[in-house]
Amino acid sequence: MKIVLYLHLHQPWRLARFRYLDLGSGRPYFDEARNLELFRGIAERCYRPALDRLAQSLERYPEFRLSLSVTGTFVEQADAAAPDVLERLRRLVRTGRVSLVAETYYHSLAFLLPPPELAEEVAQHRRMVAERFGAAPRVLRMTELAYSDEIARFAESERFRGMLAEGWEGMLLGQPPTAVYCSASAPVVSLLLRHYPLSDDIGFRFSSRGWNEYPLTSEKYAGWLARTPGEVLGLFMDFETFGEHHRADTGILEFLGALPGAVARESNLSWATVDEAIDLPPKDALSAPTTVSWADQNRDLGAWLGNDLQRSAFEAAKKVGVLARRAGDAAILGDWRKLLTSDHFYYMYVSGHGADLGVHQYFSSYGSPYDAYANYMNALTDLRQRALARLR
Amino acid sequence: MVGWEFPPHHTGGLGVHSLELTRELTRMGHRVTFLTPFSGPFTPVEGVEFRFPGDAKAPGDRYPPAYWSGELSESPFRDAMDGYNAWVGGLSGLGPVDIVHVHDWFGTVGATALARRLGTPLVLTIHSTEYDRSLDHPWTRILEREQYGIDHAARVIAVSQHLRQQLIRRYHADPRRVRVIYNAVRPPDRLAALEEAKRTVLYLGRLAAMKGVDTFLRAAARVSPTAPDVLFVVAGDGPEYPRLLTLAAHLGVADHVLFLGHVTEEERAVLLASASVFVLPSVVEPFGIAALEAMAAGVPVIVSKTSGVAEIAHSLFAVDFWDVEEFASRIAELLNYPVLRHAMGDAGRWESLKEGWPERAIQTVGVYAEVLLGWLEGSDVPVPPSS
Repeated sequence: MKIVLYLHLHQPWRLARFRYLDLGSGRPYFDEARNLELFRGIAERCYRPALDRLAQSLERYPEFRLSLSVTGTFVEQADAAAPDVLERLRRLVRTGRVSLVAETYYHSLAFLLPPPELAEEVAQHRRMVAERFGAAPRVLRMTELAYSDEIARFAESERFRGMLAEGWEGMLLGQPPTAVYCSASAPVVSLLLRHYPLSDDIGFRFSSRGWNEYPLTSEKYAGWLARTPGEVLGLFMDFETFGEHHRADTGILEFLGALPGAVARESNLSWATVDEAIDLPPKDALSAPTTVSWADQNRDLGAWLGNDLQRSAFEAAKKVGVLARRAGDAAILGDWRKLLTSDHFYYMYVSGHGADLGVHQYFSSYGSPYDAYANYMNALTDLRQRALARLR
Repeated sequence: MVGWEFPPHHTGGLGVHSLELTRELTRMGHRVTFLTPFSGPFTPVEGVEFRFPGDAKAPGDRYPPAYWSGELSESPFRDAMDGYNAWVGGLSGLGPVDIVHVHDWFGTVGATALARRLGTPLVLTIHSTEYDRSLDHPWTRILEREQYGIDHAARVIAVSQHLRQQLIRRYHADPRRVRVIYNAVRPPDRLAALEEAKRTVLYLGRLAAMKGVDTFLRAAARVSPTAPDVLFVVAGDGPEYPRLLTLAAHLGVADHVLFLGHVTEEERAVLLASASVFVLPSVVEPFGIAALEAMAAGVPVIVSKTSGVAEIAHSLFAVDFWDVEEFASRIAELLNYPVLRHAMGDAGRWESLKEGWPERAIQTVGVYAEVLLGWLEGSDVPVPPSS
């Protein structure tokens, strides 16, 4: 069994409080100081210690492999707040045993927008990865691991060889998630699937004292991996799992550091990057007529576009996008794309699904979804006015 | 009640007086039959029956409607007046009558005859005298009818002291039988302004310093320039009322703010049902039950962070009580983003009703039980209720 460990690094440009009365004031939408301060905190708690442990593991275990993706908004903030984090990332990539995965520069919902927005954002991300890390990803992931037949066709048209997706029963229809598949709509695109029970054991349950497996040790976990049948096992999660979602005092960083050693002691386990894994022959073709994501119990886009607030905000953003494009002003287009970052819509999630509520509240930078919506709409309305002024 | 003018067709105070008096009498539970020489139309008043010569209830009556307009020459006028009075005096089918009340001179003869026949007292209201109307050149026939009414009425009501003195002096009315009841105005239909305003932002509560209504008015001043169709309603009374009125004028928002003073339960319900946004900007607010009521009515709510209600309700905006800009922005956001308004309104309704008085009563009984069982948090030994 090949273990594909894939970690996602992302920070959004969070909005400042932009009041309705601030419309037309020229105030910035994004609170740069606060975002950078948050970034520094997360770098201290998570990025530095976790990247250092991964570097040590790569040094100590030659068979250890890892895949990462880094959003453009992350890199922008790292540049300003903690450039050493980028340097640490570059050092990992230079080992040749760390693959980088492509995505949208803004971690956006561009796959729901009319072309060429998605292609442009993916191209922007590719340029950034080439310039900053000297890499040319062959595997694509969409924001929130969204995947559908249509997205696979896009990946094919952009000459990607593989995509990451959720190993969701609704798409697998009884087949195991521990194999490489290919897209039914774009056969040259191989699919690597997230094994969500084992991924969430680390991502969600690791520090939960009510869990009957608590505390989770690397030996116990490697044992679970070894006893799972199949050829490829995808452990996909947020990089911030290590030190941020689970703080250092939970032992998560020690767990991360010890995992390669524990895996090495299981004779049937080995590591693979996403680039290595997609070259395995596909077991079958999978179709996904509707979009599957890695979020919440329903694995759909409900976390971003599930309620009226979210849908109306996204529809409004779509329309402003038309104006922003026509305005032909880089600053306007840049601000608009930062507003497409999926996190903004996530903050507008209104409680209702019991199990997911805690997760949503944890990630929100607002007091309530109504705060998030009003603030977002104010910024968007201001942007619309700027675009219209430019068009006149 | 024997009158002649009644809105919508009337020439002076008599018609208005008749409308308002009958409206209030029926509200108090009295039944009024209004006799008039013409056949309408009449501004409908619930509980008032209009009768006129030749009406449907007495198709066999001998007298045609007395007159239709003010264009009256002497001869038909006299006939019409006499005809009307004869109709009044002989009217049947009225049901039980306690009082016959006649206004001015036109129907005094008929009203007196009717009262006598029914065995009820007669009350006469004098709105003006023929001396005044004619600038002291009275028409004898009218004077006679005024005098007839004053002589036969058990009580005479004059609309001013001045008039009362005149009745005593010139008509020799018995001073003991002449009462003064002034006219009045009805406030212009208090909530009519709501219909004209497309959207309303509501404050509902006492006008006391702790309520922070200043903030409401200052926020109104910030919002109204961009939202001229929005009416800011201040519903409630209190010691701050005069100062707040002055402040509204000073801020230049008097045109956009409606001060309603004390509101009835009925008006309260209408205000809540029609509001787009409810604001409770209290400096100090132990709970703020009005905000919960607004939520229950589906109205999105902005409260100050210090309000107790913000502890249990989250489908609302909580703002620092001093932050006028933030209050104004929240109001503008709710006015301008209908999806936000509806989402918050719907969620708020559910949230406000999630726990009701039954739950509060159960919680209170829980405290009783604690005391009676001698249980105190953090204490291992029973604590006697008296401690």
